[in-house]
Amino acid sequence: MARLVLEDVTKRFGAVIAVDAVDLQIEHGEFVVFVGPSGCGKSTMLRTISGLESVSAGRILIGDRDVTHVAPSRRGVAMVFQSYALFPHMTTAENIGFGLRLARVPKDEIARRVTDVAKTLQIEALLDRYPRQLSGGQRQRVAIGRSIIRDPEVFLFDEPLSNLDAALRVRMRLEIARLRDRLDATMVYVTHDQTEAMTLADRIVVFNQGHIEQIGAPVELYDAPANLFVAGFIGAPAMNFIPAEIEAGENGKANVRFGAVSLPIGREAAEGKVTFGVRPEHLSVAAESEHDFLGRVEIVEKLGAESLVYLQTGFSKAPITMRIPPELSVHAGEEIPVRVGRKRLHLFDAEGRVI
Amino acid sequence: MEGDKRFWRAVLLALPLAVFAVFVIWPLASSFYYSFTNWNGFNPDYDYVGLDNFQKIYTDKLFYQAAINTALWMIAAILLPTALGLGLALLIDSSVPGSAAFKSIFYLPICLSAVVVGQIWVWIYQPDWGLLNTVLEAMSGERLRYAWLAKPDTALWSVIVAWSWQQTGLSMVIFLAGLTTIPEDLLEVCEIEGATTAQRIRMVVIPLLTPATVVVIALSVINSLKGFDILYIMTGGGPFNSSDTLAMHMYNESFKKYLMGYGSAISVVLFLIALTIIRVYFRQLRKVDELYG
Ligand SMILES: Nc1ncnc2c1ncn2[C@@H]1O[C@H](COP(=O)(O)OP(=O)(O)O)[C@@H](O)[C@H]1O
Ligand SMILES: [Mg+2]
Repeated sequence: MARLVLEDVTKRFGAVIAVDAVDLQIEHGEFVVFVGPSGCGKSTMLRTISGLESVSAGRILIGDRDVTHVAPSRRGVAMVFQSYALFPHMTTAENIGFGLRLARVPKDEIARRVTDVAKTLQIEALLDRYPRQLSGGQRQRVAIGRSIIRDPEVFLFDEPLSNLDAALRVRMRLEIARLRDRLDATMVYVTHDQTEAMTLADRIVVFNQGHIEQIGAPVELYDAPANLFVAGFIGAPAMNFIPAEIEAGENGKANVRFGAVSLPIGREAAEGKVTFGVRPEHLSVAAESEHDFLGRVEIVEKLGAESLVYLQTGFSKAPITMRIPPELSVHAGEEIPVRVGRKRLHLFDAEGRVI
Repeated sequence: MEGDKRFWRAVLLALPLAVFAVFVIWPLASSFYYSFTNWNGFNPDYDYVGLDNFQKIYTDKLFYQAAINTALWMIAAILLPTALGLGLALLIDSSVPGSAAFKSIFYLPICLSAVVVGQIWVWIYQPDWGLLNTVLEAMSGERLRYAWLAKPDTALWSVIVAWSWQQTGLSMVIFLAGLTTIPEDLLEVCEIEGATTAQRIRMVVIPLLTPATVVVIALSVINSLKGFDILYIMTGGGPFNSSDTLAMHMYNESFKKYLMGYGSAISVVLFLIALTIIRVYFRQLRKVDELYG
């Protein structure tokens, strides 16, 4: 049904290339999240899909219909804005029913459908209130209500939760997940928050400077990042990057060496300089005999469910982050033996591509 | 040091207060005072006459004529410049070709004094070679010598048109400023939800322009109550008092008929009317504030 296809879509603002030749296919019913740092072109990409921005080049297809030059209202898309974009002079009911009123749907049908939507979002009690009388979370629900009432084929969300405080954000994230499961629609969701991306997405599209760095399921991006950018962007705290070298090991297989450490990578690789990546959760405090290197503890952050330890080492200027169980007692200034998990090694070449 | 500061504060405050007292409070109080006398404006001898002047107002046909004209003037002053200013602002904002030039052209009249505006329109309405008759003749092909300002049935409206011409530029500028405060994303919602231009303007833009409209109407009302200078230039309230407003009537009674006591009584009534309108208006304003503030 509502497959969304982007073919070579480019959007320029004068000399700025906000979206750079993006190719992407989103299947019907899929929940796809665009992530990337601020200014990488996520919003622009979303706005070209909605039709609020015209494309500079390329094609956009929704459900096999070429909508590249179709007006936003005829594309079958609904959009939820970061700012909620509620009309201040309209009540909740009027805001939700706005699109139906424009389409001259009979009053009683509007009332019925507005009530249905309000029930779904648990805002029935708020139907007569004005936006200024609502909390942030309630406003966002009203904005979502306005988008679902018209039964669009594609939902577009532009950072819908980023104006909410942390606790509310978690709750609204769950509600959006519920909505995703209940509505049989294609959803594109923009965020710079990777937790939102990881928890909501069927597939994540990582943007950087207007182009796509990698597309994949959340776990795929986490386990097998295609390049340094994705490796650094997905996962919190971020992956440790250590300058290293590939050298010949046993049985024709290669080792990665940094400082005095040499680890077998379990496969062949060309010799030369590389960046070695390992996630904080794949480092552990080891028994003396099993450790790979010693690190001096700079800072310990006790987060309750876990602790983050920042280590000084001889082989990396940046502190090495590791994630340890909270019951392990580690103190600043102490030198601790660290073991690197053998199965989770990431190697990147000089261009940042995974090896 | 602290004392010094206080001293200067008092001096700096005293100046505007003194100006306010001399030019606002004093004339106002004098008007109230003289409205109970039969002073003629220059003779030092005059008598206290109680409510005689106010009783006279009650039976003064010209006062009623002037009151009706003032009401017409105010209604027209609210409707015409507000509607025209809004229309122009919407047109210019939709960036039709040449909108920047239009903006300056329509803004220009505000920079002129009422005297100049009045004079320009006196020329336009001039019966023999005025612009209006010339254009009408060219369009109808008939010879036309209508004396717009000299006929009782057109004099008032002709002045109202001239006055609106000047006010429209002001309203337009305020509406244009109001339009820039409408959040872009609300207009984008209209686009995505499929609002026609008319729907967008009616259901979203005009309601969101309420704060600007409040200002435009307030200025129109205040300016129209003060509307005297342009009338003085163009008709002087004539012919046969057909374009008299209360302000004009008061002026004629006080300074032409030398009935300063009676003129003061008229000004007191005008003051009370203005006060009532402004009070009602400000009460409405508070409601708008609650909604948009
Ligand atoms: N209307 C615009 N005019 C000019 N430049 C723009 C416009 N919108 C976005 N840009 C530029 O395009 C780039 C991508 O912006 P955006 O899509 O908003 O990024 P993101 O949503 O990922 O933070 C930025 O460099 C931004 O400055
Ligand atoms: Mg953005």
